[in-house]
Amino acid sequence: MMTFLLALFGACLLQTAIVPRLAIGGIQPDLFLILLFGLSLSVEPELAAAAGFLIGLYQDSLSGAPLGLNAFALSPIGFLVSGLSQQVKTTQPVWRFALLCVAGLLSGLITLLLLRFFHSPRPLASALLWTALPSALYTGMLGTGLLGVLKPNTNKGLT
Amino acid sequence: MTRLLLRYRRTLVLSTALLLAFVLMTLQVRSGSSVALLTKQILLTSISPFLRVATKSFDITATVWNEYVDLRRVRRDNQLLKEEVRQLRTEVGELRETALEHARMGHLLQLGNRVGTEAVVARVIGKDTTNWFRTILIDTGANQGIQRHMVVVTREGLVGRVIDVTALASRVQLITDPGSAVGVLIQRSRTIGVAAGSQGSAIQIKYLPLMADVAVDDRIITSGMGGIFPKGIPVGKVIRSSRPANGTLFQLIEAQPHADFSRMEEVMVLKRPPSSGLSWASEEPPP
Repeated sequence: MMTFLLALFGACLLQTAIVPRLAIGGIQPDLFLILLFGLSLSVEPELAAAAGFLIGLYQDSLSGAPLGLNAFALSPIGFLVSGLSQQVKTTQPVWRFALLCVAGLLSGLITLLLLRFFHSPRPLASALLWTALPSALYTGMLGTGLLGVLKPNTNKGLT
Repeated sequence: MTRLLLRYRRTLVLSTALLLAFVLMTLQVRSGSSVALLTKQILLTSISPFLRVATKSFDITATVWNEYVDLRRVRRDNQLLKEEVRQLRTEVGELRETALEHARMGHLLQLGNRVGTEAVVARVIGKDTTNWFRTILIDTGANQGIQRHMVVVTREGLVGRVIDVTALASRVQLITDPGSAVGVLIQRSRTIGVAAGSQGSAIQIKYLPLMADVAVDDRIITSGMGGIFPKGIPVGKVIRSSRPANGTLFQLIEAQPHADFSRMEEVMVLKRPPSSGLSWASEEPPP
């Protein structure tokens, strides 16, 4: 728990202070998603969902998003990643990259749908194509690299 | 009940999270709920001190790094600029030298046109290697039509005459050489004498009668006598005049040549005596 909180604080600091400097064409990677992904590889789905909720709340508090937006998006993502990690070889960088990309796209899609629901719509197709997809790819690449270096505990997945 | 909760805990946790998030969003978006705002504030407050410290640390690190990079860039730029300045200084020096040379050549060519005779511009390529003679070496010789006894001048006035000729170079005896003798006259009083060289940089005007009208600053020009030096070429000006009381028949006159032999770089060799009187003889010599 303590490790998770420290990692969450670290992610908050890095996402606020460092990651904006890494933006390419205005697109920056999502360290919160990477943190959730890394955590979800080693915990049960219900814990991953709760962690997603908490991470999302912090992400919302650090952004202009309404509180709950990212919490709503990250909870099912944590749940799904944790569930899927028992089915696929998450130790393989390719799988990690693919899963991270899917998670990023899903996060973008949920966010867009919620914004549409709350009458703050964005053009869905172009936002997915020009914002969610590049962000997912960037997050996928960075996340795969970071997880490869940090080597989180992934003993529950296939190897 | 507990068993039921445990059995459906996953779905329950996910549903609760989703519901809570949705409710928070709804409260904030629909009615600007203070609960949502308070939650957001609490979360933000819990992280903001660390954020401030971290951001400041990152900024300091970034600043130090940028300054380091800038310093390295400045150092590299400085080296490049120094090299460029060195090259440009060399180029400027060369161009300045070329411009000065062109100016001198231009003056000599103008002089050539003015004296109305065939003339060759030559570079001074050497000076006498001893202290006993006053000669210079020029870069034109027999191949350019140079012959012995041809007269050598500059814009300022008489230099001397050619005494040795090779195919590509010639030696010129300066009027300050102790062996040189040039027929001259005092321009103002038209008194005739002979300009002879000495060991110094001045020349002596010999054979001027004691009663001749000579004063300091009088201009001296060639007289045309002797058949080598045409008449009217400026030679110099009187700097010292005295009448010895020891029974000598002639005055002691010392003159300073107009031409500065120590800084001479180009000269003009007159290949033939001028057809008529030299026009520069009536002009004031350049300073």
